[in-house]
Amino acid sequence: MSHYKNYSWLPLVALLLLLGAAPAMAHFNEQCPPDTDGVDTDGDGIDDNDHLCIQLGSGDGFSVMADGKVQYMFGFSDYGGLKNAGGDPNIQGATPAERPDEDDPELMGNMWNDSTNPGNMLGANFPSPKIEMREGQMLYLTLSNIGMMMRPDLFDPHTVHGHGFSEASSTFDGVPGASLSVNMGSSFTYFYNLFEPGTLAYHCHVEATEHMQMGMLGQFYVKPKQDQLVLRGLISSESVQGFTKFVYNDGDGATGYDVAYPLQLHSFDPDFHDASLEVQPLPFAMMDDRYPMINGRGYPDTANPADLINQEGFAAQNENALITATKGQRVLLRLTSMSTTDTFTLTIPGIPMTVVGLGSRILRTDGDPAGARELIYTTNSVSVSGGQGVDVILDTADIEPGTYFLHTTNLNHLSNHNEDYGGMMTQIVIQ
Amino acid sequence: MMIKTKKGQGSILLISVLLLILWVIPAQAVIEGLTDTTANPIFNLTAKADHITTGEGSSVLIWGYANGTARAQYPGPTMIVNQGATVTINLTNALTEHPVSMVFPGHDVVAEGGTARLLTQEALPGSTPDNGEVTYTFTATEPGTYTYYSGTNMDLQVEMGLLGAIIVRPTDFAIGTPSTFQAYNDEVVDPNINIRPDSAYDHEYLYLITEMDPRIHNLVEFGRMDEIDTTTFYPVYWFINGRNFPDTVTAAYAPQLPVQPYNAFFMMHPGQRMLIRWVGAGRDGHPIHLHGNNFSVIAKDGRLLSTDVATAGADLAYSRYTQNVMPGETVDAIFTWSGYKLGWDMYGHPPGSPPGDMEPFEYALDHGKPLPVTMPAVGTFTAGALFSGSPFLGGSGFLPPGEGALNNFGGYFYVWHSHHEKEIVNNDIFIGGMIGLMVVAPRNVGVDIPTMPTL
Repeated sequence: MSHYKNYSWLPLVALLLLLGAAPAMAHFNEQCPPDTDGVDTDGDGIDDNDHLCIQLGSGDGFSVMADGKVQYMFGFSDYGGLKNAGGDPNIQGATPAERPDEDDPELMGNMWNDSTNPGNMLGANFPSPKIEMREGQMLYLTLSNIGMMMRPDLFDPHTVHGHGFSEASSTFDGVPGASLSVNMGSSFTYFYNLFEPGTLAYHCHVEATEHMQMGMLGQFYVKPKQDQLVLRGLISSESVQGFTKFVYNDGDGATGYDVAYPLQLHSFDPDFHDASLEVQPLPFAMMDDRYPMINGRGYPDTANPADLINQEGFAAQNENALITATKGQRVLLRLTSMSTTDTFTLTIPGIPMTVVGLGSRILRTDGDPAGARELIYTTNSVSVSGGQGVDVILDTADIEPGTYFLHTTNLNHLSNHNEDYGGMMTQIVIQ
Repeated sequence: MMIKTKKGQGSILLISVLLLILWVIPAQAVIEGLTDTTANPIFNLTAKADHITTGEGSSVLIWGYANGTARAQYPGPTMIVNQGATVTINLTNALTEHPVSMVFPGHDVVAEGGTARLLTQEALPGSTPDNGEVTYTFTATEPGTYTYYSGTNMDLQVEMGLLGAIIVRPTDFAIGTPSTFQAYNDEVVDPNINIRPDSAYDHEYLYLITEMDPRIHNLVEFGRMDEIDTTTFYPVYWFINGRNFPDTVTAAYAPQLPVQPYNAFFMMHPGQRMLIRWVGAGRDGHPIHLHGNNFSVIAKDGRLLSTDVATAGADLAYSRYTQNVMPGETVDAIFTWSGYKLGWDMYGHPPGSPPGDMEPFEYALDHGKPLPVTMPAVGTFTAGALFSGSPFLGGSGFLPPGEGALNNFGGYFYVWHSHHEKEIVNNDIFIGGMIGLMVVAPRNVGVDIPTMPTL
């Protein structure tokens, strides 16, 4: 903890300033209409549950690097309790998360007084919340701009820009210059018809170099309709090699897997983050990332499945990066990178990597499941640049139980700043 | 952090976009450059020094290839020829101290004249057509996207700007005949699936990327050659077609950018196909992210990704949303956008609108579907300069005073940029660098980019 500076007095000052600057109305405006079209679009056989409503907050917070360094950051927060709502087909619905204070008109949905989420001030997560979705769902993604508590001088709007959405309209594309961005204290609901499965990613596009370096990025993924059709027996298990989960609608089980690990790659430049906290000019040209991370952690924090608690007592880094599987399982790694500086190449000594998807599409001709040729290949390394996504499956049928390492081969990034044996590496435990 | 220069850049953008819109006249939707469709095209290039303007307003010395007696260009002239042509390039050198040359990866070149050096024949400083000129000759056997650059002291000379692109058109290509617009000689494989070949397009654009370390250029300018160390190369400028954003969205051949004639402003109508010809002409790879949709990567280094061009089309093409374009590499991709399955009617047709009112390429099941969300109230959002005020294509709406205003035709604007976001900055000043703009325009707005006369 040698790098730790005590900023515990700052939030109070900042809060006072922020409240002083707050607009009179700072209430959520969540749009989540009921699904009344009478059509089952996501393949689960239920007509009225196809609207997926997600709430994200945007603000600031702190994360802790593997060497103990505390990093100020901007980020999205899981705001509304619907994180991974797609995980259980039985709990999806059109109803936003109930808040206990909804009967109190003074407090109802007030961004800065929500008893269900006392951590929303300085409540940014890193990486941003993973969001699991299903093909055929209509996504109502409400972004509420909470404001940056440590930087009350900033009134930055925020947006959500997605990678991998097909045929995005510029209206919901999240580019501030080309559409609109959400002011502090306000909400905006993005709409997407999720008609293609895949591994997607999102980030804030406002002042993109700064907001992304500062940490406003995460992964979401859309599970294919084939999952539902196999579950319901509408596609025979034999025709898909007995798998029940798939990355894409492959029709033949080529992308079938048993366990999945969404892994968001990113890297921080500590000078940039310190300059932001200390209200100094930001080093754009000198940007040099020295904290490479998987799911917001450098090794050895990646091998620790527990949440990382920051000095505010908040679990800002709550995405597991430890990969565990049983011998024989097929392990899906959903890899997306939002590094603002570097291309990372990843390898797993001892376990071949089968690349089944690229850029949120199956690796077949033109990304089409019915494409003329299978382009899936097996290799020992994959490169992921900023803004890219790759789906990799590890077949552990011939892998002996033991501990393996997923790590970058950009060896200078196997460190947490000046601390060696760290950085972009995690463990794969085969039992 | 809101940047202090925003106002200034907004006005540059305003002028740029206004110029562009005013200049839109019917023209060939082809890439700007030196087009010679004859069987024996001859290009006369001269290496010269000049200065470019960077996105934040600095001036940087470059060395560039000039078209004959014209000023140097950054990048050098895009030479556009037909497949099968015997191409001749005569190179002279107006630099005072440095020999220069050209190499043409992917082509079998015969070099004559000048002085023999390690990689090729070089034109010595001060060489002229009568004295010391080098002649490079090759046959453009295969269509595709290629690059050329200096083969002399390359770590310095490519940095200085001696680079460019070559486009070889397939045999049947005919200027002015859109039905012949395709990048390779592929044919429709299965008429039930595609009505056009995989490499067919309506619009094509060059997307040539480079970067610069101005310290090197300054040392050259001050004659301190001994102090140049290209191994400490640290770029702070990133270019598309020789310009930084926001200059990338100024019109091609804009008079205020005399050394940087090419822009990066891409236009299409819904349902059209756009060919992007990426050239990695610098020294770093850059992951180029296209907003709006995935694209199909159909070719690399001037070869269709195909098991058999004539019978299989681009059957090895793959789809993605960010392409890392590496140094020395060319990549061709096809981008389309129609608003397919948006889940709402992007033209804003009212519920119950008859099918006869559908637009070309409109997705029938979305026709008349209302926008699923209510747009936010004024005061809760900040409108972008290129936001029309309406969520609908071709629409317009109320905007807060001082916001929006540059998109009065209701186009959908998308940024096509490097996703190593450090590279969308001009020498420490955000925003800039490697950003181009693509607009899906309503059908009543022309999308053909004006071009200058050819050779």
